[in-house]
Amino acid sequence: MLPVLLLADSRLPSGGHGHSGGVEALVDRGLLRTAEDLELFLEGRVRTGGRVVAAAAAAACALAEHAEHAEHADRAGWADWDAAVSARTPSAALRAASRAQGAALLRTVSLAFPAPAVTALRALPRVHHPLVLGAAAAAAGASPAEAAGLALHHVVGGASTAAVRLLGLDPLRVTAVAAGVARSADPVAAEAAALAVAAVVAGDPTVLPTEGSPLTDVLAELHRASEATLFAS
Amino acid sequence: MHGWPVILRPTGGDERVHLVHAAGGPLGGDDFALSVDVGPGARLAVHSAGATLVQPGAATDAPARWTVELQVGAGARVHWAPEPTVVSDGAGMESTVRVGLATGAVATVREIVVLGRHGQRGGRHAGTTHVAVGGVPLLAHTTLLDGADPGLCGPAGTGGARAVGTLVRAGAGVVATLSGRRGETADVRWAWSALDGPGEVLMAVGTPAAVAAVLDAEGRGAAGAEDGPRGAVAAERGSPVPAPGGS
Repeated sequence: MLPVLLLADSRLPSGGHGHSGGVEALVDRGLLRTAEDLELFLEGRVRTGGRVVAAAAAAACALAEHAEHAEHADRAGWADWDAAVSARTPSAALRAASRAQGAALLRTVSLAFPAPAVTALRALPRVHHPLVLGAAAAAAGASPAEAAGLALHHVVGGASTAAVRLLGLDPLRVTAVAAGVARSADPVAAEAAALAVAAVVAGDPTVLPTEGSPLTDVLAELHRASEATLFAS
Repeated sequence: MHGWPVILRPTGGDERVHLVHAAGGPLGGDDFALSVDVGPGARLAVHSAGATLVQPGAATDAPARWTVELQVGAGARVHWAPEPTVVSDGAGMESTVRVGLATGAVATVREIVVLGRHGQRGGRHAGTTHVAVGGVPLLAHTTLLDGADPGLCGPAGTGGARAVGTLVRAGAGVVATLSGRRGETADVRWAWSALDGPGEVLMAVGTPAAVAAVLDAEGRGAAGAEDGPRGAVAAERGSPVPAPGGS
């Protein structure tokens, strides 16, 4: 359990602190002002874009389990699964954010969890964050459902931390919001993981979930073009 | 199938077809599938005679289902641009559009969904778009809308807006020439984004009229971009609409 908790720790060097998960663009426009707004945002985000990254992390975890032996690790077809995440991320800004965090996390887990699947990901030119998270989670002993939970934990945690920093919200109140959202996110993680495991068994990344958040996608592009932002995304 | 009748009516020689809803719009429980094979080198434009109004079924809570498969042969061009889908209060719709592009094929796919008729908050809509080029997935995306669901109407959904529109350009030789164009007013926020492959997508969230206006204007630019990179669109690129108040 302790190795998995390391992957949930916001102090894990993974570049996450530079990203607000879409919160800064909303705050800049007055579309997210209060802890109640944050709760609504997280609740919607978890079952749209969050469900997609949760499934991707779970799929990577399952793939890594199937490819435990070094001679199979590079045959997991990682590039196809990475492309599936790209196809599910229409915003180029969000793809860039995911890949930047994927690269940062991969540097960390290459040393911390040097399993065959983690090493195989290093052979890719670039890789999305949830795939690195899922492969590292497998190396740390997590199940696909736990990997999905880790991905949602970072969706919730990153946005919550950004909201506190940008709006000066009461951290105790925000933690209570995050706890409430986390409870409702548990079944989302379980269901996303079930879909992901089925996709891995079928060897078919096209059946991964595809939900997105319309305003988040548009604002991610507008945010990237803004000057003087605190967070990269 | 007790689905609602849809008539395909050629309206512009043999390149242009209109979808006509012969008996009003879809009702809950209706299940309709359309499969279109566009032969190599052919050109096809599909429009609709008017907005699609989705209404609740009399005896079921099931959504209406609308599934479109577009197979576009080598060198063919398809322009899929039906009028907006309006989802009435209490109604539900699941729409899936799958576009498969062969080598050298190009497609533009335009979709607008409006939550509710005037004065309504709107029903449920799950709109999924899959685009693959040469068998390689380029875009796989679902937009969930529900006027009665605070999470989907909130800052992670539509932010209170009534309409969401997308315009996808994909296929052979499509480079993201429009990527970087964007805009933001009180009525609509929109941006083009490059996809990870041969294509780009315009995403717009706002009032029904403003979303349609953005897709109309940018759609003309997309048509220009297909005619050549040095057309009108290329000339406009130097002055993308700035994001106001981008603090």
